[in-house]
Amino acid sequence: MNIVVLVKMVPDTESRLEIVDGKVNESGFKYMVNPYDEFAVEQAVQFKEASGGKVTLVSLFSNDTSIDTDLRKMMAIGADEAIVLRQDGYRGDRPSANAKTISDAISEMNADLVIGGVQGIDYYQGATGPMIAHMLGIPHVSGVTNLEMNGEKFTAKRQIEGGLQVIECSGPVLITCQKDMTKVRFPALKDIMMSKRKPFENREVSLNEGNDVNTDECSLPPARGGGVIIDGESAEEKVDKLIEKLKTEAKVL
Amino acid sequence: MSSVVVVGEVDGNEVKDVSQQVAAVAAGMGDVVGIVMGKNIAEAAMKLSTSKIIIAEDDTLENYDPVRFSSIVTQVVEQTNATRVLMGATTMGKDLGPRLAAELNWGYLGDCLEAGDEGFVRPNYAGKVLAKSNPTNPVVVSIRNNAYPAGESWSGTVENFSGNIPDSNLTTASIEKIGAGTVELTEANIVVSGGRGLESPENYEEHIRPLANALGAAAGASRAIVDAGWVPHSHQVGQTGKTVTPDLYLAIGISGAIQHLGGMSGSKFIVAINKDAEAPIFKVADYGIIGDLFEIVPVLKSKLDN
Ligand SMILES: Cc1cc2nc3c(=O)[nH]c(=O)nc-3n(C[C@H](O)[C@H](O)[C@H](O)COP(=O)(O)OP(=O)(O)OC[C@H]3O[C@@H](n4cnc5c(N)ncnc54)[C@H](O)[C@@H]3O)c2cc1C
Repeated sequence: MNIVVLVKMVPDTESRLEIVDGKVNESGFKYMVNPYDEFAVEQAVQFKEASGGKVTLVSLFSNDTSIDTDLRKMMAIGADEAIVLRQDGYRGDRPSANAKTISDAISEMNADLVIGGVQGIDYYQGATGPMIAHMLGIPHVSGVTNLEMNGEKFTAKRQIEGGLQVIECSGPVLITCQKDMTKVRFPALKDIMMSKRKPFENREVSLNEGNDVNTDECSLPPARGGGVIIDGESAEEKVDKLIEKLKTEAKVL
Repeated sequence: MSSVVVVGEVDGNEVKDVSQQVAAVAAGMGDVVGIVMGKNIAEAAMKLSTSKIIIAEDDTLENYDPVRFSSIVTQVVEQTNATRVLMGATTMGKDLGPRLAAELNWGYLGDCLEAGDEGFVRPNYAGKVLAKSNPTNPVVVSIRNNAYPAGESWSGTVENFSGNIPDSNLTTASIEKIGAGTVELTEANIVVSGGRGLESPENYEEHIRPLANALGAAAGASRAIVDAGWVPHSHQVGQTGKTVTPDLYLAIGISGAIQHLGGMSGSKFIVAINKDAEAPIFKVADYGIIGDLFEIVPVLKSKLDN
């Protein structure tokens, strides 16, 4: 089986978010592999271990090579090779243009399975996966918490309101992973060493026109003023005051 | 006036709340055409508050399928010359929206907190940054539940979808209901969440679920106790869990890490119960009780029962 894993590099969750002139100051950002994409890598490697094939990581990013170490870690999990699409002026908030660039690159790879995370923890659009699937002319299943493979057939359980939608399909298909899908392994030292010898291709790509909506202005959400601390002599008194406030002030009870 | 397509969803005999909210937003943007897809849904679909409703009923539409649903909406857009498609940011909307945008060659704005003539606002970095845009080109937009009041339920003119429903490779084998009879986190008006302060999974069952039941609320959790295996990930609120925007959010034994706040700070009112007066959760709580949850919660529960 030929598996392509989509890996997005996203700003670390501890990154300081500062707004300058209506834009997020990204200059101090450090990038890491999007946590949801790690589940995809692990799942792809498990399929390969079960029934053979090849796992290729595909990532679209800028010319910044500080991400290479983190991507190598994904190869230590068991991916066979990485193709990094290097784009001058890359931005993570252009799902339409980025989907076009990525689908152009993977269309000739004849993947049976294209798999990635359900969303990037930067812009949370969850858009690139379904867009790529449409551009490749294949179906997709998003937010999958469990994926099984039986020969040519996949069974995906997708999180929906109140339960799971169990979907069967044959490849090629694009899947996006929800958090519970797999438990990502810690690679052994020898796998980390081996990963350094695996093929790692940097491929220049040009900027694509997409249909993305430009952001006019970014702002920090209005700080929620800390409210009141409800005091009282006893638990009972505190609870009475709370219920009173929820009924009369907040009017939510 | 330009026209706007609203993708409605039904739940049982009713149109989903979020669909009515979206219909109300769309009403301010132009002529609105609703499209509802499914099986045996006509009666419920007619309640969608748009002046015109197109109903696509077919056995193959019983469960959501991105390929079929995207194609149907595309045909409705072409037929109505619409320049915007709006839908709720449900598990269907967040999946359909981007695929549809690709099929239409339009822009996409997901999970919007504000939508209107002055533009759209959507969260970045788990809500830590708000991004505003005012697209002039056609867009598909999904809008978060509870961002707007719902439109009144009323019937417009109804038409059956007469286009073509494509084949799809996907087959829904079954729907596994989880927590039947409980309230869905992302749709709940009240959410009661518990964290590591509960000390054990048994205490979650003993204190959080009954309190949630007493309030008709959904039960949520911090990542700490999801990772510990006390409750499934479907309960997790936060940056790598669900984003909730209820009228009332109760955080019990939760410290209020930045990643947790990302998923709940859009709630209308927040109550925190925590024994540590310095816990960051108090910085966002409208009402805080500093105290031992094992003393407070049972009293709260019994008072609410009365
Ligand atoms: C990439 C990444 C993503 C993450 N995503 C999420 C996410 O989506 N959601 C999320 O929640 N977290 C997320 N986290 C984890 C987050 O950083 C915190 O570790 C987690 O939220 C802590 O959970 P907690 O508040 O239950 O536990 P703790 O931080 O341990 O807090 C427990 C609280 O309980 C209080 N307490 C203890 N005993 C009592 C008592 N008897 N009565 C009253 N109060 C008591 C304590 O004072 C303390 O404040 C993420 C972290 C990372 C790095």
